Parts: sequence; structure tokens; C-alpha cells
Amino acid sequence: MDNVAMLDAHGPEARPVLVVEDDPLLRFMLCDLLRAEGLVVVEAANAEEALGVIAAGLDVEVVFTDVQMPGPFDGLELSRRLQASHPDIAVIVTSGHLDGSLVAVGIPFLPKPYVPTKAVGLILSVLERRRAHGG
Amino acid sequence: MGAETPVDDARPCILLLDGDVLSRHALAEYLRGCGYRVVEVTTSEELFAVLDHGTPMIDTILFDLDAPGSVNGFALRAMVRDAYPGIDLIAAGSTEKAAKEAANLCEEGPELTRPYDPQLVIARIRRMQARRDDEDG
Repeated sequence: MDNVAMLDAHGPEARPVLVVEDDPLLRFMLCDLLRAEGLVVVEAANAEEALGVIAAGLDVEVVFTDVQMPGPFDGLELSRRLQASHPDIAVIVTSGHLDGSLVAVGIPFLPKPYVPTKAVGLILSVLERRRAHGG
Repeated sequence: MGAETPVDDARPCILLLDGDVLSRHALAEYLRGCGYRVVEVTTSEELFAVLDHGTPMIDTILFDLDAPGSVNGFALRAMVRDAYPGIDLIAAGSTEKAAKEAANLCEEGPELTRPYDPQLVIARIRRMQARRDDEDG
């Protein structure tokens, strides 16, 4: 495997999970657990970084995003923009300040604080559902 | 954040500070491919949050001298040396230097099976940055 293939890691079928979280320790713990599950993970510290990742052409399959983060727009705006521009990307929202009303509009929601393993389970279940439906 | 602490892991751990998400991701994946555990941080504040937390234990810090945050790269180096004298510090002032330093780490890394070419990492970062900048522009 050459360097570039190594950076694309895990083969061409593996689309990354993008985790958007401004708490570096929570981000690390969650991403570490996701990598232990064999997933390719990209880390962003805010919504602006996340859009930069998408704009750079990384073929992201799922975005797991916090809502309240520093930067020009929040995780909800990120999810709105992604639904408009990349409807093939699944978005999961987490927050300590929202209720589960997002579920009513079809966006999986995980309330904060959460145990990282619970977030991993939710992300894996979304991936499994997508793959079961050929997504 | 949740009450859990990072999972136990025997791999040497690198704390990577870079304010550019694409450079950081490429360098982090490169280092992970060499067998390291990598904690990614985007600012000096995030870097000290990880160090002050105490876990995961950090062996080496690879940092961009121009990374965002209230502490500049030179002050950051002095502060870390003072407060965490057991941690190796590697400063990089450019993507090229960071990739070369990552390659040096890979040569000492736990899972090196072949030499890595940092130029390929740099080329990938440049391509991703150009695509992102085109979309932004």
C-alpha cells in the first residue's frame, strides 16, 4: 500500500465518519472508539472545519455533530447545509440544549452528556441501516 | 463530556497540534499507519486541556508553530518544557516540515514495515486544500 492509499486507509469502500466536536477529549475518546471498530474517522473541531473537509472532497458517509461550538455557525446550521448540498450524507446531532424534536424531522439525536460507547452504538446503527438499504 | 476516560492503550501517543483540518487529518492518519496513537488538537487551548487532563499519557507533541490559540508556538514550547519535562517536543513551521518530522517519527515507530515518503503526504494535503479553496472561492 503506498502512502496515499494508506491515507485513504481501509480500502475504497470505507467512507469516513466525520465527528464534529469542540471538546478535544470527548472528540478523542469517541474517535478512538470508532477507530477501534474499524471505521475511518475524520475529526473536526467546529462546523466550519467540517464543511472544509466536505469541500476538500472526502467522501464522508456520516456526520456526527455537536450543536454549540465556536465559529460562524453551529451544528444545526451545518446539518441544514449538508442536507441541502449532500443529501447522501447521514447526519446525527448531539446537544445538551435540544430535546429530541429533531427525531421528528428524521435526524437522529443523542442528548448530552452521553457515554461515548452509546454514541458509537448509534453511529454504527445508522451505518448498518444505510448499508442494509444500499446507501 | 462523558464520565469515561480514554481506553487503555499501550501504543506510544502523539499529541498533534495543527490548525488546518486537512493537514492535521493527513498527518494523523500517516502517524496512525506507523502504529502511533494520535490525539488531534486544533488550538493551544485544546493542547493544554489534553495535557492537563493527564490521560491519555502523551509521549511526543508535534506542533505547528503558527497554530491558532492564545499561546504562540514559542511560548507554548517553553510552557510545555516547564510543566511537562518528560514530553518530547517537535516544532514544525510548515506542512513540509511537519510531514518530514512525521516521517522521522515513523522511522522510529512501532510498526514501520517500509520507508514512507513525506512528499506524498504533502502532495495529498495540497490537493485537498486546493479543492477546498476552490469551493470556498
